[in-house]
Amino acid sequence: MAKIGIMSFAHMHAYSYAACLNALDGVEFAAIWDDVPKRGRAAAKQFGTRFLQDLDAFLGAGVEGVIITSENVKHRVMAEKAAAAGKWILCEKPLAPTLDDAKAIVAACRKANVGLGTAFPCRYAQPLMAVKAQIANGDLGEVYAASCTNNGQFPGGWFAQDALAGGGATMDHTVHVADLLRWLTGKEFTKVYCENDRLLHKNIRTDDIGILHLEMEGGIQVSHIASWSRAKSFPTWGDVTIEIIGEKGVVSVDAFNQKLNVYCDTTMRASWPGWGDNPDLGLVRDFVRAVDERRSPAVTGIDGLRAVAVTVAAYRSAQLGKTVRIQP
Amino acid sequence: MNVAIIGCGGMGAVHAQMATNCGLKLVACADTRKPKAAALAGRYGAEVVSPKAVLARDDVDIVAITTPTPTHTGYVIAAAEAGKAIFCEKPFGRTVAQCEAAIAAVEKAKVKLFVGHVVRFFHEFEAMKAEVKSGKIGRVGFVKMYRGGIFPRGEGKWFHDYAQSGGVTFDSSIHDCDWLRYAFGNADHVYCQALQRSKPEPIDYAAITFRMESGIIAHVIGTWAHPQGFRVRTEICGDKGMLQFNSEEAPISVLMRAQAGGGPSMIVPASPVAVSPYQLEWEDFLGWINRKHKPRVTPEDALEAVRMVSAALESAKSGRPVKL
Repeated sequence: MAKIGIMSFAHMHAYSYAACLNALDGVEFAAIWDDVPKRGRAAAKQFGTRFLQDLDAFLGAGVEGVIITSENVKHRVMAEKAAAAGKWILCEKPLAPTLDDAKAIVAACRKANVGLGTAFPCRYAQPLMAVKAQIANGDLGEVYAASCTNNGQFPGGWFAQDALAGGGATMDHTVHVADLLRWLTGKEFTKVYCENDRLLHKNIRTDDIGILHLEMEGGIQVSHIASWSRAKSFPTWGDVTIEIIGEKGVVSVDAFNQKLNVYCDTTMRASWPGWGDNPDLGLVRDFVRAVDERRSPAVTGIDGLRAVAVTVAAYRSAQLGKTVRIQP
Repeated sequence: MNVAIIGCGGMGAVHAQMATNCGLKLVACADTRKPKAAALAGRYGAEVVSPKAVLARDDVDIVAITTPTPTHTGYVIAAAEAGKAIFCEKPFGRTVAQCEAAIAAVEKAKVKLFVGHVVRFFHEFEAMKAEVKSGKIGRVGFVKMYRGGIFPRGEGKWFHDYAQSGGVTFDSSIHDCDWLRYAFGNADHVYCQALQRSKPEPIDYAAITFRMESGIIAHVIGTWAHPQGFRVRTEICGDKGMLQFNSEEAPISVLMRAQAGGGPSMIVPASPVAVSPYQLEWEDFLGWINRKHKPRVTPEDALEAVRMVSAALESAKSGRPVKL
């Protein structure tokens, strides 16, 4: 039975991964460490596990794999410590805010000979898996172009603090789709042009809207909207959509459009509770199995690094006002 | 455990796959049209036998009955007398009397009977039930359900014979009637209009209204009148809010370019799930057989669903409300 721990509950996805650990068979949710003890203790109570305030005690507590869900800029330090202690790692996306940090994380895990995964749960969303199968079967023929969105509500907190997030919406909401397109087409991104700014939310320093014009190997034309543009009163957190223009046809996927429309007069809110399968469960299940089998998680650290390369180039493009090559 | 299929049309093929997914072995296939049985049996390495011979085999633990509706209960009774566990596709029978006779046979033989009211296992319908239970929309007063698409092309065209199939009211809207009862309790009375046209081509369209014992008014539309496609819509209104589901708001839509000699073809919007509701109902049935839990659908539930749609057709015929 794999023993898994979670490092930091700064990122809200930690709560979903924790619930997955408790829902899955063959895994023990062994411990939580958090640099904010109050938050870690509350999470330990909520999920029925123990909180260890001392990082060395946590890493020495028999945990075999760790899920890192801290602020983006802290990923590197935590991952390096966990890797040095021989732990398998599932790191929240983006793998890191800079290429240097992302490369350092990959190198640390390689040196320690531990598995490193990046948390891109969209690869486990049933609708996207179906589209992947359609493309792999050749149903669509050659892929010519795609237009994508990853819109969200404003997450607030450290997400909009450059010192902790290392970027804004362009970073937070590009990496998922960049990874999905690499996975769907098997091609790498080559260049990007980006317009971004802070236009929707006052009193924050980071960008909250980014439009990316990208190209992939073979000349695939891709455009993408990364935003924190969904209103507070919007019925759900946001979306992941991709329209793919292929040789034989067009497929449009709205990955989380398995929902009910609920209107509640008590709160005067409309909401879209989802009823589809939870992609996080597939992601966490693969990580647990990777730990058990001492293999690499299916979505690797390199996948995380490649997505970071796209966002880093996008920010540089926005700064320079011209097209920028994406580091291979 | 081993399973045998009686009735190797579209639903027979679905349940052969689902039973196999659950770890059962398909050992025998029977159909009055032998080539149909041979085709299905060939895919699973099963034997082709007569329906009678299926029930005589010792290596068959579960019999799945996926024949035209009027023949269901005859096979259920014979399978019960042979001591088999029984999976029967919905509708349970063509008449209330048939279903009552089948329940008596099942009780006498002390075998388990599960009728495939699969909508109880759809993720979206379970989500709706949970939302209602959460109280977010308050006390429910009105429900509208809508289901259908093209007229089904069952082998032998038995769907076209309204005396056999009961049309969309009996064969398709029974899903919604059963779910209404599952979610909101028994119905008190029903009023129904059923189009049931045969010429120049078969077209059926049903409008059904139930008054539930709780006072809830429920309206059910069933269509086999659309030139193409299939859609499901549900709306539930309460004193504090409402909720809607629409299958056309699906995550995937595909439009293919014209192929040589044809126009562009629309593929039905897709909404994939990890485990099919048809497999979930088999898992539920097997859990009941293995004494792990009670079934989500009892034989009495299936009988009551037939009672609801029978009353609806009676109302359509008489033009009067029918008490349940």
